[in-house]
Amino acid sequence: MEEYAREPCPWRIVDDCGGAFTMGAIGGGVFQAVKGFRNAPSGMSHRMRGSLTAIKTRAPQLGGSFAVWGGLFSMIDCGLVKVRGKEDPWNSITSGAMTGAILAARNGPIAMVGSAAMGGILLALIEGAGILLTRFASSQLPTGPQFVEEPAPASMPTPSFGDYRQYQ
Amino acid sequence: MPVAVGPYGQTQPNCFDRVKMGFMMGFAVGMAAGAMFGTFSCLRIGMRGRELMGGVGKTMMQSGGTFGTFMAIGMGIRC
Repeated sequence: MEEYAREPCPWRIVDDCGGAFTMGAIGGGVFQAVKGFRNAPSGMSHRMRGSLTAIKTRAPQLGGSFAVWGGLFSMIDCGLVKVRGKEDPWNSITSGAMTGAILAARNGPIAMVGSAAMGGILLALIEGAGILLTRFASSQLPTGPQFVEEPAPASMPTPSFGDYRQYQ
Repeated sequence: MPVAVGPYGQTQPNCFDRVKMGFMMGFAVGMAAGAMFGTFSCLRIGMRGRELMGGVGKTMMQSGGTFGTFMAIGMGIRC
């Protein structure tokens, strides 16, 4: 992670939170548009209106839950950075698992374990993909310093995916 | 975000490339995650044999598509 150009720590929380909200809202808009279109009664105007209604009700919700995930994730991430004194993929994986656990805390310990495992595995996959991508890009292109910064945005969206899975 | 504009402007991938790369990466991650979680959930609801393969494949494609879309959006809003 240290080669990723991410925001410095306290501001990363805000950045992740806002980024996750935007992403969730846009992505939720796309998916809910399709869903509302399909679920509405037939007739073009009904379908359009159904799609619009679905977007208006669900997309901000999804964005909000993305933002919760993102904010909590990077808060724990920053805490771990401070406690451990280093930044590596394990930080993200641990904080993904802890975020999953905390957000499922009201559903009981079993749900917490399941959700934590899900978050950890998901974050591990994403971190692994980022590392592979960085290595691949830097080996493919010798003039790679620009590419090294590439995965930085990719690691921002991370918090949000677990959220999507969890609340579906 | 550090959008490094190279002095020559050659190695900086443009926006569409980044979105495409984000989609590919999200798709790969989603496929892997879908393989894992899909296997569990399909086994839990009692699928076996060929049916299981189909179910897992479907879950993989679905979660790959979802992840890819979200990852592409995440790339898109930051470039």
